[in-house]
Amino acid sequence: MKFRPLKQLAARLLSGSYRSIRTKLLVCFLIVTIIPLLSLGALSYYQSAKTVNSQFGKYGENAVAQLEQQTSTYLNRMNQTTETIYSYLLDPARVGLGGDIPTTYKEILDKNNLEDFLKALKTERTSGIYIITRSGYYYGENNLDVAKLNRIPEWRSIPDAYTGEYWLGFYSQNHGLQEADEENPGQPVLGLAVPINNPYGALRGSTILIEENADELLRMFRLFEYDTQAHLVVSDSTGRSIYETASEFSSHESDIVWNRKLKANVWTIEARLPAKAFYRSSRMIRSNTIIAAAASCLLAFGLAYLFSSRFTARIRRLKDSMQKVSIGKLHTRTKVEAKDELGSLDISFNNMVGRIQSLIREVERNERLKKEAELKAFHYQINPHLLFNTLNSIQWKAKLQGADDIRQMLYHLTMVLEGNLDITQELVPLGRELQIIEHFLKIQEVRYGPVFEYEVTCEEALKHYLIPRMTLQPLFENTFFHGFEDGQGIIKLTIEETGNLLRLTLFDNGAGIPQEKLKRLLLPGAKRKGRGGLGLQNANQKFKLHFGQQYGLKVGSSPGEGTTIVILWPKKEMTPHGENNETD
Amino acid sequence: MRKKSSMLVLVSAMSVSLLAGCGGNNDGAQPSATASSSGGTSAASKTIRFATWDTGDALKIEQDIAKKFEQDHPGTKVQVEAYADGFDQKLAAGFGATNPPDVMYMWDFPTYHQSLEPLDSYASQDASLNMDDFYSGLFNYGKIDDKLYGIPVGFTTRVVYYNKKLFDAAQVPYPKDGWTWSDFQDISKKLTDKAQKQYGFGVRASNDTYDLQGFVWSNGSSFISDDGKTIDGYMNSKETAESIQMFGDLVKNGSAVLVGGKGQQSGEDIFKAGKLAMWESGIWPLESFKAAGIDVGTVEMPAFPGKPVKGVIAESALSIAKDSKQKELAWEFIKYYASDEAIKMRTADLPVRVSVVNELKKDQDPLYKPFYTMLERSDNTPAFLLNAKWNEVNRQLSAAVEAVVHGSVAQDALNEAVKDSQRFLK
Repeated sequence: MKFRPLKQLAARLLSGSYRSIRTKLLVCFLIVTIIPLLSLGALSYYQSAKTVNSQFGKYGENAVAQLEQQTSTYLNRMNQTTETIYSYLLDPARVGLGGDIPTTYKEILDKNNLEDFLKALKTERTSGIYIITRSGYYYGENNLDVAKLNRIPEWRSIPDAYTGEYWLGFYSQNHGLQEADEENPGQPVLGLAVPINNPYGALRGSTILIEENADELLRMFRLFEYDTQAHLVVSDSTGRSIYETASEFSSHESDIVWNRKLKANVWTIEARLPAKAFYRSSRMIRSNTIIAAAASCLLAFGLAYLFSSRFTARIRRLKDSMQKVSIGKLHTRTKVEAKDELGSLDISFNNMVGRIQSLIREVERNERLKKEAELKAFHYQINPHLLFNTLNSIQWKAKLQGADDIRQMLYHLTMVLEGNLDITQELVPLGRELQIIEHFLKIQEVRYGPVFEYEVTCEEALKHYLIPRMTLQPLFENTFFHGFEDGQGIIKLTIEETGNLLRLTLFDNGAGIPQEKLKRLLLPGAKRKGRGGLGLQNANQKFKLHFGQQYGLKVGSSPGEGTTIVILWPKKEMTPHGENNETD
Repeated sequence: MRKKSSMLVLVSAMSVSLLAGCGGNNDGAQPSATASSSGGTSAASKTIRFATWDTGDALKIEQDIAKKFEQDHPGTKVQVEAYADGFDQKLAAGFGATNPPDVMYMWDFPTYHQSLEPLDSYASQDASLNMDDFYSGLFNYGKIDDKLYGIPVGFTTRVVYYNKKLFDAAQVPYPKDGWTWSDFQDISKKLTDKAQKQYGFGVRASNDTYDLQGFVWSNGSSFISDDGKTIDGYMNSKETAESIQMFGDLVKNGSAVLVGGKGQQSGEDIFKAGKLAMWESGIWPLESFKAAGIDVGTVEMPAFPGKPVKGVIAESALSIAKDSKQKELAWEFIKYYASDEAIKMRTADLPVRVSVVNELKKDQDPLYKPFYTMLERSDNTPAFLLNAKWNEVNRQLSAAVEAVVHGSVAQDALNEAVKDSQRFLK
């Protein structure tokens, strides 16, 4: 069960479904973390193990040296004590000292002197200083039971004719008058026996016994054993073991050995540490390092997996959204999770899709409008034929009947209508527009009679500049319908050039426009009463549409004094391919 | 607010530790600095050192007394220094280095009086000590050239302990006051059963000659002349030799056993084991005998025919070192040590105050009565008070006595000892 997620993961990784960025990221992360991790771990293990080993080795070396020093201090002091006693006994004045129980006054004085001397030799560490004679009597403090001396393991094995110091090693002092028991086991001591076999001096054949409290020394041994876990063996020159660590031990070739010789009595202090124990610390470091490295790898893997899956999940989601959009689901939006690069990518995507959506909507609408317009245009194209044919027929009829004024009127009307109905071009030369105006005025003249004056000032050179179609006629219509009464008045049209611009000034001396109406006149979308002003508005829009917002109409008027309309627009000439490009 | 209060706590904690630090310094090895610098303000750090030769239970009691004194005198510390066997050595070293304990146990006034503070003015000006309440004569032991150097705090006389069970078993009547040394020798012989390793009496292999003075005085002699100038004819007089020889003879004829020597158990241990019928000692082992379950009786020392029995007092006193920096406090401690309260705590000594003895009815107790009878008989002056060189003479005397109990003839050994000792008296 435990391995199922892992298996799944492996299957997923291998299946190739996500073998893209996520896998690559994961691998990258792992490589980036594991390589330095492993190399650092290995390095630190190697370094610290080396340091620890060498320091532990030095420590052991020093510790053994210290043991040697301490033991030497004991041994030297004991040596010195025996030498002092020996030389005391060599003094001829001591010849009275005998091997038997002193009973006479003189003997007792000598005994007291010797014992005072022995007492003076005692230090705080000394457990006992005795001189044991052959007879079994002894000099020293009264607490020794000579019969129990054989309890000292080494005491019995002192050879009869031994010369020099005989080290008894460590043993517990249980040869006192008071029996050692559970409560009061004899204290551990270090013993030294020196047989007196000098041919001169007193107490020949006796043995000096020095015992020093070994508590502290043994404690140091034990402390050493505890600290280093080493097996400590103190042995004398013959290889006899003086002290050995209590625990079971079998020595091997590979053991780490610290070795010291005591100068005082050629004892050897040897501490053996099994290689396994010696390298235990470094092994511990190694296993810790491995555990730490493995844990870090796992952590890195987990983090990398989490991060990459989060990262790629977002990319994947974006990709999915794109796919949806690509099959036409334009309402698709992706979720924005964070303000990072991916987040801004999401936002951009959303904006883009939104814009595409609205653009498509626009295009749709435009297409629809275009179709409608085409239909309309088609419609218009049909009707003018009928209209013109009819008008021509009427014209012919009027000519046949001799109604020449009607024929004239119809002719002008036809001309005006032709101008109006030719929607193939939005911009027309100024000259043509002026012609249409002439025809229009002719119609008005027929209608009202020659009661108005029309004055046009326009240089021939300006006439080929373009002007929006059907812009002037509505203005003239306004003049006749609103300005003049029964067609009476003066109209002045002036076209001049100012730099790159053309200026058209249309003046009439008609009724003028009331002030409040004038304000609303050019405002787009303003509410209108009746039809008035629609022509002005349209004309203004046309200029603005074709040439830009800064161009258009300005209307100045005051009631009773006429109206002046000024139009400014840039010069523009007909191109060979058509009048302009703006209708696209 | 919170921050402030924690800061306050910190500051106060620091100041406390600083104070503690100062206190610790004052407790250190230089009481002189404390005394001079602190004056009356920081009495908290006064320490006096008290040296004793006792060990074991007796030491325990002394430590309890010191604690009690500390409780009654807030701001005082008594540092009990147990010198045990090294008492003389360490004390001498302390005097030599002018760094002695302030208060110490003392008995050997002839040797040390030059290093001790005379206490006459303290004792006479301080009525609360109530000198009249002490057993008369105790003060004599602490006087050199009529100057008082020690206040007695404990003493004992010597009596004969006997094991009632052994007496009953041998159908020997218990000894009574007024018995003689020949009674003693008879009883000793009767109660010896070598097969059972049982002896009538134990003779110490090495005697303290001080303790033997009672016998010598009882036989009408002494170790030294009353003027302290002559030993010839005193230390080796016929009567002296006779009284010492008596112990040698007891060993020689087998009615007594040598104890405390090489490979020998101490007399107290044998008595506690029920193998010794009689034992001669001070008050010290009484409690341990009772504790060992021995049905013990006491009786005053036997008499030599026609001569009055004499006793010797072993006294311990407290003294103040001349170099002490805190004599007033030391005096307070001594006064407390000699007070009823402290005396009652010290069961290993006989009470020095008559009022305490009366109150506890010690002199009515049959076990204690012989000690007080012997006290009445202790009016001789011990040798060490009579001659300042006595310690040197004592070496020879001790050797002679030891030779006697090991079989030498007393008169010869004592003659030799006197001969060897003459040079110290010149």
